[in-house]
Amino acid sequence: MSENNEQRDEHGHDDGHHVNYFKIYLILLVLFGISVIGPEVGAVTGLRWITLITAFGIAFVKARLVVNNFMHLAWEQRIAKWLLASSLILLLLFVAGVAPDVMNHEGNNWENVAAKQAVERGLAAASGYSEEEAESEGPLEGVIASGFSAQNSFGQICATCHGVGGEGDGAAGAALDPAPASFIDPVFWQGRDRDRIITVIRDGAAAVGGSALMAPWGALYTDDQLEQMADYVMSFRPNQ
Amino acid sequence: MAHARPIATTRSATGIPTPRLAIWWILASEVVIFGGLLGAYLMHRIGHPEWAEAASHTQTWIGAVNTFVLLTSSFTAVLAHQAAEKGKGKEAAKLLAFTILGALTFLMIKSYEWTIEIMAGYTITANTFWSFYYTAAGLHALHVIAGAIIMGFIAVDAYRGRELHRVEIIGIYWHFVDVVWIFLFPLLYIAK
Ligand code: HEC
Repeated sequence: MSENNEQRDEHGHDDGHHVNYFKIYLILLVLFGISVIGPEVGAVTGLRWITLITAFGIAFVKARLVVNNFMHLAWEQRIAKWLLASSLILLLLFVAGVAPDVMNHEGNNWENVAAKQAVERGLAAASGYSEEEAESEGPLEGVIASGFSAQNSFGQICATCHGVGGEGDGAAGAALDPAPASFIDPVFWQGRDRDRIITVIRDGAAAVGGSALMAPWGALYTDDQLEQMADYVMSFRPNQ
Repeated sequence: MAHARPIATTRSATGIPTPRLAIWWILASEVVIFGGLLGAYLMHRIGHPEWAEAASHTQTWIGAVNTFVLLTSSFTAVLAHQAAEKGKGKEAAKLLAFTILGALTFLMIKSYEWTIEIMAGYTITANTFWSFYYTAAGLHALHVIAGAIIMGFIAVDAYRGRELHRVEIIGIYWHFVDVVWIFLFPLLYIAK
């Protein structure tokens, strides 16, 4: 057999077979079409297996067609196939060897904190907040990541000084001079309107001639969220 | 092939002509290079559900057009091989030129696509998904560039009827580059 093959290879190895390249090309195009449309169908119907089969299953079929018919591996000496196969086996060994570590984020005695945080941050970013906000470190992170509500935000940030009830009796507020404003005091509301409240929350009390102890919080909120915060503060206003 | 060749390119203990054996060796190492990169990507992708969000920003239709371009260039490359087998150097050169055209089209579309992504802020440092995206697609693009340049030299020779056996060798390499993209396309563009 080897004599025969050497003979063949002298002349190029095309002698023994005739591939209809155009036909292969057409089949590849059809498969390609399916691999684009399939995942769309999978997305619409919510059937993940359609996506998996059409996108990845078909990739293997296409690769096989190209390797066998265009690269002529099907007619190549067996040793070339073994050469490529041993590469593939090495590769699979490598992947199988590291997969447990890469894909798991914890084991019996260890925990990949960084990976877990990355997942958390990423998922928060995906649910509508910009990555920058989601990546901001510190105690505020949880507030931002858990979806916005003015009440929650007030409870977690403002209440430390202003008190949960807006009376200016928060734990951290007691030591402040001037004391944090009490939002339930009718006097406080004389001459204060919504626009001013928005300005104060965004730019700090210093922006309206008040104390720098009331810091600017604008970086935390979108315009829409700022208005929700102002409305929440306004809701403490006693009815006259 | 009628012309004389150095003895080293015809002698072969494996029954495979030396140049072709050499390209199989190269591809065997490429399997590990690309396979390792894509394997690492796949493992991270499965371990990080949040990458789905990043992946949803890739331009699927651009990736699809490029898949079509590469498939077609593979087709012209194998036709060039067929022509070379029959000793038709000029035709082989012409078909190689079409293949190079495919490579250039691919690269132009790729540059357009990357411009869109970078302008939108999706740079290689944006997050790990985008790092993999640019590394994998970039390594692949380097292979496209290298292949196109070498194919240029081979096409010039082939046009003069010289070294026609090389048309097959560059073809095998080119099909491999195509195969890599066949896997990159679903991995980077379709899996959302
Ligand atoms: C570090 C403590 C502290 C925190 C936290 C804090 N504030 Fe204040 N806030 C103050 C102090 C002190 C004043 C009084 C400033 C002054 O009288 O000049 C004040 C005043 C205000 C005023 C009235 C300003 C005016 O003069 O019209 C509003 C409205 C207000 N805060 C809203 C908020 C909101 C909303 C938050 C949460 C995003 C918040 N504050 C968080 C300390 C705080």
